[in-house]
Amino acid sequence: MAFCRMIDVLYAAVPLGWLRGFLIRGHMDACPACQARLASRAEVKRLFVASEEVGTNGELWERVSARALAAAGAAKREPAPAGALWRWAAAAAAAAVIAVTGFWLLREVQRPGFNAAAVRPADRFEIAYVNVEGAPAQTFVYQPQGSDTVFVWAARIP
Amino acid sequence: MDELEIIQGCLRKSQSSCREMVEAYGNLVMSMALNVVGNRQDAEDICQETFLQVFLHLDRFDQARSFKTWLLTIVYRRSLDMIKKKRRFAEFSARARFEPAVVERGGNPHPGAPDPLPSALLKALSPRERTALCLWANEGYTAKDISEVLACSASTARVYLFNARRKIKSSLENDHGLLQND
Repeated sequence: MAFCRMIDVLYAAVPLGWLRGFLIRGHMDACPACQARLASRAEVKRLFVASEEVGTNGELWERVSARALAAAGAAKREPAPAGALWRWAAAAAAAAVIAVTGFWLLREVQRPGFNAAAVRPADRFEIAYVNVEGAPAQTFVYQPQGSDTVFVWAARIP
Repeated sequence: MDELEIIQGCLRKSQSSCREMVEAYGNLVMSMALNVVGNRQDAEDICQETFLQVFLHLDRFDQARSFKTWLLTIVYRRSLDMIKKKRRFAEFSARARFEPAVVERGGNPHPGAPDPLPSALLKALSPRERTALCLWANEGYTAKDISEVLACSASTARVYLFNARRKIKSSLENDHGLLQND
């Protein structure tokens, strides 16, 4: 009995399948004391439903055949018509156009110098030189008081 | 018509052979599913799905092996799928109870249906243990046969069976009155 208890402790303490299998085969299957602590086949059998108790033959075949027919019908269903294919193609093309446009816009936005709000207005208006017909011209710059408008007058030097 | 003839007929897509197969193995499949999931409605679904799978994949069956074991393997897998589906639903609806798989003892909603299984005993067993125990008790399967159905080693199947028998014994001893009111 003490040996059975030791085996029991070992069985509970080491959850290894092979070891448990070994303990069952090596001791528990042959030990009457250990077997007495297991439900017998007769005890277990009365808990479960036996195949003779079920009785579903006729209606089961009808249901299975109905489902089999439905499954076969689904498998034989016609392929999608050509119109559906064109709709898919059109949707794919539209998606591609949207993606390309989005990519282009993103690239434009991320380009250096794009952010106009961040650019400070020029403190003063400057013209390095003005050419008229390939020759330096006489230039006059006029800004009315209180206005942002700048007039530039360039005249050819005679 | 013997088993081999039925199988050959089903492979030729003979409707009468398919019917023979359902009639020959319907009760076995139904009882196994019922014993694993514990609910007649789910068991009927499993039963139908199992036969559909059998008719669809019968060409994969190795005729050197036992057809009954192959069939019960499909039932077991379908039953596990059903239990997982139920569990996910139960988690989703936050109802951590065993009710979907067990009908109250004494109140049988389907006339002609077998008595439902005692919930306390079912709760104590995992689906694998329940399957192992059912195969051992109802079909007289050995640990090696059970291991084919459960897709594990014979040693592991032996452990499942041992644990299940021990839990059942313990439950019977603790709740002795449960089975005496039959």
